[in-house]
Amino acid sequence: MSKLINFTIDGKAVTAKKGETILTVARREGIYIPTMCYISKTTPCASCRMCVVEAAGVDGLVLSCNTPPTNGIAITTNSDVLEQERTNIMKLYDVNHPLECGVCDKSGECDLQNKTLEFDVAQQNFSAKDQHRQIENWGLINYDPALCILCEKCVHVCNEVIGDDAIDLQFGGYKSKVIPKNSDTLDCTFCGECIAVCPVGALVSSDFKYTANAWELTRIPATCAHCSGGCSLEYETRHTGISSKDDTIYRVKNNFEFTSLCGAGRFGFDFDNKASKDAVAFANAVEALKNAKAIRFSSMITNEEVLILQRLKEKLGIKLYNEDARKFGSFMDAYASISGKKHYSATLEAVKQADGIIVIGSMIATDNPAVRYAITTAAKHNGAKIIYAHPIEDVLMQNTITQFLKYEVGTEEGVMALLAKYLLENVELSYEEKAFFDDLDDGYLSAETNIGEEEFTLMMKSLTRTKNRVLVVGNDLIAHKEAQNIAKLAAVIEKYTDISVLVVPRDVNTLGVSLTCKLDYDDNSLLNVVGYNDKGSFVISSVGEADLAAPALNQQEGTFVSIDNRVVPTNSALAFGGYELLDLAKVFGIGKKDTIDFTKELPVENGFKAVEFDLLENFLAPLGEDIRGYLLDVVEVAMDGSLDELDSLPEFNGTIIYNVNPVLQFNAYTNITKQLERETTLRGSAQFGAAARVSDGDKVEISFADKTFIRTFKQDKSLKGTIALNPTFDLDESINSYRFQKSKIMRVNHE
Amino acid sequence: MSNIEQFKNRNVSEEYFLVDIEDYPTDGWGKFKRVVKRTFQGELFVGLWVVLREMIKFDIHTVQYPKEKMPIGPRYRAVHEMKRLWESGTERCIGCGLCEKICISDCIRMETKIDENSRKEVSEYSINLGRCIFCGYCAEVCPELAITHGGRYENASEQRAHFVMYEDMLTPIDMLKAGQQQEFEGFGAITPHEDERVKKTPLAY
Repeated sequence: MSKLINFTIDGKAVTAKKGETILTVARREGIYIPTMCYISKTTPCASCRMCVVEAAGVDGLVLSCNTPPTNGIAITTNSDVLEQERTNIMKLYDVNHPLECGVCDKSGECDLQNKTLEFDVAQQNFSAKDQHRQIENWGLINYDPALCILCEKCVHVCNEVIGDDAIDLQFGGYKSKVIPKNSDTLDCTFCGECIAVCPVGALVSSDFKYTANAWELTRIPATCAHCSGGCSLEYETRHTGISSKDDTIYRVKNNFEFTSLCGAGRFGFDFDNKASKDAVAFANAVEALKNAKAIRFSSMITNEEVLILQRLKEKLGIKLYNEDARKFGSFMDAYASISGKKHYSATLEAVKQADGIIVIGSMIATDNPAVRYAITTAAKHNGAKIIYAHPIEDVLMQNTITQFLKYEVGTEEGVMALLAKYLLENVELSYEEKAFFDDLDDGYLSAETNIGEEEFTLMMKSLTRTKNRVLVVGNDLIAHKEAQNIAKLAAVIEKYTDISVLVVPRDVNTLGVSLTCKLDYDDNSLLNVVGYNDKGSFVISSVGEADLAAPALNQQEGTFVSIDNRVVPTNSALAFGGYELLDLAKVFGIGKKDTIDFTKELPVENGFKAVEFDLLENFLAPLGEDIRGYLLDVVEVAMDGSLDELDSLPEFNGTIIYNVNPVLQFNAYTNITKQLERETTLRGSAQFGAAARVSDGDKVEISFADKTFIRTFKQDKSLKGTIALNPTFDLDESINSYRFQKSKIMRVNHE
Repeated sequence: MSNIEQFKNRNVSEEYFLVDIEDYPTDGWGKFKRVVKRTFQGELFVGLWVVLREMIKFDIHTVQYPKEKMPIGPRYRAVHEMKRLWESGTERCIGCGLCEKICISDCIRMETKIDENSRKEVSEYSINLGRCIFCGYCAEVCPELAITHGGRYENASEQRAHFVMYEDMLTPIDMLKAGQQQEFEGFGAITPHEDERVKKTPLAY
């Protein structure tokens, strides 16, 4: 077709697809064009002008980063004129750049240094009156304007990929600098992407600043162990110092050219568990396992260890409890019974490429930042329409979303049914499914969900011209009482339309756990339960108080299943001195030499491949393709499910709390890290305060289901409505129930 | 003419001769005769005379170590010294970590952090002299001429740790003020006539 553009670069015949620029084609073909400000994951900043090329028949020089090629044009990337132009740019970049490379945190990993040497700028030919530029401390981030070269990478990433839009360039000629946008100090989610993309040492982690040189640090490729995003990262370790030669993690880096990392991944790395071999505790653990009726474990676990637990279950005839993964598993089973495939269809890459995204049942910015960044990328780069359905407006998503569908708490099933009905309007359905939608009582559902017909019409209107659509399904739907039916509704949408579905697993390896072992229903009735990173009568844990210490996820090697249905490997950054689950397995005769020897035995019937751990790659290809681990095979299952008729929708009145974590906090592991902020207050609007009769700063007792705890109430101006946000990361047990809870809020008198 | 051939000549026997060595005595009587001969030949007194003669001359060259020490060359590589800046008296070390990196016996270790003025500060610095081979790489690589080798070669103490204290290596401030900090010429050092060589930066403003 005519969509391909044929042209030449330096005499080499190349082909560009629609939307590609000269630079992207050149990079794909391995032709070098120097750049200073270009970053693949954003739109071109076009601030450095280093990427200039000559085009035959065109006067002047052309910026290759933002110019698409035309048919038959001849591009020259190297000539004396271009060399002169680029050298002059480098000379200007070097004007008054502080000569403190010896102490700079880039310690040689510096784009400016590389290019200065490349273009052989040995002296300063231009001059400008230098001025005092104050180093600014923005909390986790340090900004040194003297080192800043104003490439704008940070601004573009913050705006286009992260969506915080928290920094901006203050234009003022030679006085220009990066400033917090509309604020005196930096007010953002502290993802630290600006640090990652900074080509010089201007933006640096405050904690890391001046503590180590790049060449001293050992890079350990791993996978982030905080949420299900499965982001690739590198732990950088070095000896602690003069007092100890044990390794510690100094910082976390990522392949910022193509991927992003949230602040929890970047700054929350010190959650390792220090322990030594305690033979008595180990013997007790063996004894406890022998007497146990069940093992309860969290989803903060590798697939291999889950397989060990599964083998223990078979060997000892006990039960396995993990409510989070069990709920996810049954959601996916119901989903598969309609769609015919065991796994959902969308990936984060699909979200990035999408031009229409519907998010339902998730406070996505805090539940899974990776999904948020993908949504932001889609919105900013493809102009994607974002429909965000949730009972609470999320201030973090405000700039990104096109339409907010506010529904009543508990009515997710009704919302999903209406959503499906509208999305499937002109689609040929099977008889039963058609009957289901015909029987829906639209009026009742609209009234109960509080979403009017006009809102859906508006949604359909904005989605009309979209081609790549994704439905993002959050935890509120998975943990819902009617989760099965909701799953089936989502599956119907996927089955009959081109919309692909992304289900957001709650924890790091919720998805992997649900695929690797057979879980039992946990009714909390058994007493003899061994807890593995969860509560029980005998607790083996890598965090908090435990009867036997276990390694944390940055001290283990193994695999996770990420949100992309991709099996990704992780490696141990730090050594662990104590016993691990494998040692216990060995006592029961089901151990192997290493935990990773279980990798090739992961259940093939659920899509795993029989691949050795050591054959799994853990990096991105030069052009950004994700080649980490492997994608789960497609598993076909019987399509024997059918939609159930809707019961009356539940009503939630009174003071409702929503169990959701604040930014950068996910679980007990992020809670013990040094750098991450711990916001443990109950946050609610003034309206909530009035309804619950509490005011800002009050100590309140919150009770829901059978749980009671004390928190401070904080009035948050960004919130509306009568739902307060209750963090769960600092609770000693995981909350697996539906996240909205009717609760009793009582003011506790100050002692 | 000296060509290569003369060095290739391995036949050196003409210039060598055999010394006259008596056969070793094989029996007891022969050994007894040799002892008597050597004892009364008087060679013993030759040695005694040499000592006596030098004693009477009173021309003694022996260095009375440790009371007296020989001056050593400025490039002698003994225990390290950390220098201060002449002008301000602050430490020259900027904490770049190059000495730590280049050290082939891996005996240098330092800890750095950001100080209250947002500058890099060396909070801990240690050299394990038990491992140090005094190769001088650290001094050579130092971009600030902050670490050098000093002349303190006496490595005897009750504790090895006595030699790795940063404070001991650092020039005492009173010595600096008295102008007694030993300075080295060479790469990175202040070269003679530096003032005349400085050119004014061509600033347009």
